[in-house]
Amino acid sequence: MKRLILLVVVLTLTLAIVGCASSTDHLAAIKDAGKLVVGTSADYPPFEYVDEVGNTTGFDVELMNEIGKRMGVTVEWTDMPFDSLIAAVQEGKIDMTIACMNYDEERDKTVDFSDAYYTSEDALVVLEGFTGDLTDPMNMANYTVGAQSGTTQDGWITDNLVTPGLLPEDKFMRYERVDQVALDLQAGRIDVMMSDYVPAQAIVDQFGGMKVVYHGVLSTGPLNIVIPDGDKNLQAELNRIIKELQAEGFIDDLAVKYFSE
Amino acid sequence: MTNPILTIKNLTKKYGDNVVFHDINLTVNEGDTIVIIGPSGTGKSTLLRCINLLTRADEGQVWLDDKEITAKDCDEDVVRQHIGMVFQNFLLFNHLTALDNVLLGLTKVKHMKPEEAKVKALMELERVGLSDRAGHYPGQLSGGQQQRVAIARALAMDPRIMLFDEPTSALDPELIGEVSDRIVFLEKGSIVEEGTPDELFYHPQHERTREFLWKITELYGKKETGKIDG
Amino acid sequence: MDVARFLQYIALGTVYTVGVTLIALPSGLILGTLFALLNVYSGKVVKWFTSLYSTMMRGIPPIVLLFILYFIVSGNINLSPFWAGSISLGIVSSAYQMEIIRGAILSVSGGQMMAARAIGMSKSQAIRNVIFPQTLRLAIPPWSNEAAIVIKDSSLVYALGVPEILRRAQLISASTQQPFLAYAAAAAIYFILVFVTNRLLDALERRLRIPANP
Ligand SMILES: Nc1ncnc2c1ncn2[C@@H]1O[C@H](COP(=O)(O)OP(=O)(O)O)[C@@H](O)[C@H]1O
Ligand SMILES: [Mg+2]
Repeated sequence: MKRLILLVVVLTLTLAIVGCASSTDHLAAIKDAGKLVVGTSADYPPFEYVDEVGNTTGFDVELMNEIGKRMGVTVEWTDMPFDSLIAAVQEGKIDMTIACMNYDEERDKTVDFSDAYYTSEDALVVLEGFTGDLTDPMNMANYTVGAQSGTTQDGWITDNLVTPGLLPEDKFMRYERVDQVALDLQAGRIDVMMSDYVPAQAIVDQFGGMKVVYHGVLSTGPLNIVIPDGDKNLQAELNRIIKELQAEGFIDDLAVKYFSE
Repeated sequence: MTNPILTIKNLTKKYGDNVVFHDINLTVNEGDTIVIIGPSGTGKSTLLRCINLLTRADEGQVWLDDKEITAKDCDEDVVRQHIGMVFQNFLLFNHLTALDNVLLGLTKVKHMKPEEAKVKALMELERVGLSDRAGHYPGQLSGGQQQRVAIARALAMDPRIMLFDEPTSALDPELIGEVSDRIVFLEKGSIVEEGTPDELFYHPQHERTREFLWKITELYGKKETGKIDG
Repeated sequence: MDVARFLQYIALGTVYTVGVTLIALPSGLILGTLFALLNVYSGKVVKWFTSLYSTMMRGIPPIVLLFILYFIVSGNINLSPFWAGSISLGIVSSAYQMEIIRGAILSVSGGQMMAARAIGMSKSQAIRNVIFPQTLRLAIPPWSNEAAIVIKDSSLVYALGVPEILRRAQLISASTQQPFLAYAAAAAIYFILVFVTNRLLDALERRLRIPANP
């Protein structure tokens, strides 16, 4: 879903200076403590967000709570900006992060991934009155486009449209958060918004006057939990539980609940 | 015969290439009042600062009684307690009342008990006629009153000698003659001549002294003087 | 959507904002004062180092410094984001507070030091009893400015995962799609905090002002 940017470079450099990593068995330590510290960026409904009483909730959150339950530990949520999450996993500030992230070769060098718990798609959103043609996503080159900065969508547009020179740099707007993209779409400052399909659907419902004109796997795909590099025991435990939950239909039920598919 | 209380030998002070004064020799006996006169920029203030070690002389020695205070192992802070100084612009502690200005040295330097110190401080203010201004801040006092607080602050430390930097801008030469035992004429960093007020004012030996005296008589009252009061 | 509930959620962030400020400001003051004293009253080498510290700290955007400091501070000692973030922010602020105190020390005339030494005080006695009381009075107005900046900069610790006002406003903005409401609430709280702080410091300054004839 999202991709990390410059800050991670800064952070990794710092981490290199500071040095890190304890080698005792992480999974055993978690179970001993009876507590799993999970980081997320709760500004991405319906995957992760705060409800009206200020609790962190959402598709990822409810799934992780269930995983925790099956590991026999309570999940303690730590909210931080998306850009800080990977660094926090590397630093051991959090045990793992679930934040609508997907496998990425770059990231794989510094952290590890669980098996996919869900497969996500991208969407192109436009205003109701839009008459253009976006059956081929490459046609975005003809419009003013917006996406959340640092996401896989940002990366896809940059790699496929901006860098080849199809879409001028000034016709691609990057925003800090996805709701800001939607606001500018509503205001007519951009023609197309590219984002994850599920949150796009939620935004269309909430804002009104918008529609999804395209969805499919472009930049994104399977979602994974991110864990510390080389943490094999933890990885195996997570994969076992994810498989279990998929078999029971738990994850599909959650998807229906949060994405109303 | 009285004993010398202050002895200055071959004292020289330079700021870089600028030699402020050189080879100053001066002896002051207990009970004496010495007045140093000389044109502006001659080094009178600098000389006073070298005596109480606020500025370090480059060469020469200073003795207070029979102790060499310019010696390396001499504790400056202790020396200064024994040398009272009243600055040209008084330099009262701006954030303290007149009373606290006098008190500070007593409690912090002399480590007197607060009640004792207060009695003494009030007495010193009384001496300079300012007991009714004890609670006033420097900013609420006239220049003359500030000067008297500065004197009380210095006297409260029971110094062996007192240094006044230009205390007498308003005094005429006559008056200086009355209060002083000896006048020293300093010019261009060295002592030109010294003697009793009568000798120096009415029978000066040097042409330069005569010129200077003639000038200050012209500018009556505007001359600069420094004073060492022992 | 329950607006009152959401506003309450944002308002609860005040606890963190105030907490971060109450740790960052004093720790920055202690460090800054120490560096200012070293800068004014010590030898060439120390002077050079403290000047370098100040220039570097003030030349880097606070958010970048915050990240670097956070990972140095909390990489070596196991501190919560709240404490590590607050201390890091204090370090950032110390450079600015150093300049404030340094400026105030320099504007207390050199004569005050001389007068204190002349009655036999040591340098450190003079600093404590004469220079400092005057310095602090002079430093209050610029320090009031810095306090306002730290209150506002405390929002930076959200990047470390401290749920203060700004972060909560972001979360509410994302979950309600009502950015204006969320950010207006945050702005109002910041404004009140800064306003009250400045007023309190104004009052303190008036109380401590040295009486003088007009
Ligand atoms: N801190 C200083 N640095 C450099 N030069 C100084 C300093 N203090 C005094 N001087 C110089 O020393 C000379 C004597 O000054 P001063 O002692 O104030 O003279 P006076 O008190 O007789 O008017 C002047 O030329 C002055 O410029
Ligand atoms: Mg002078």
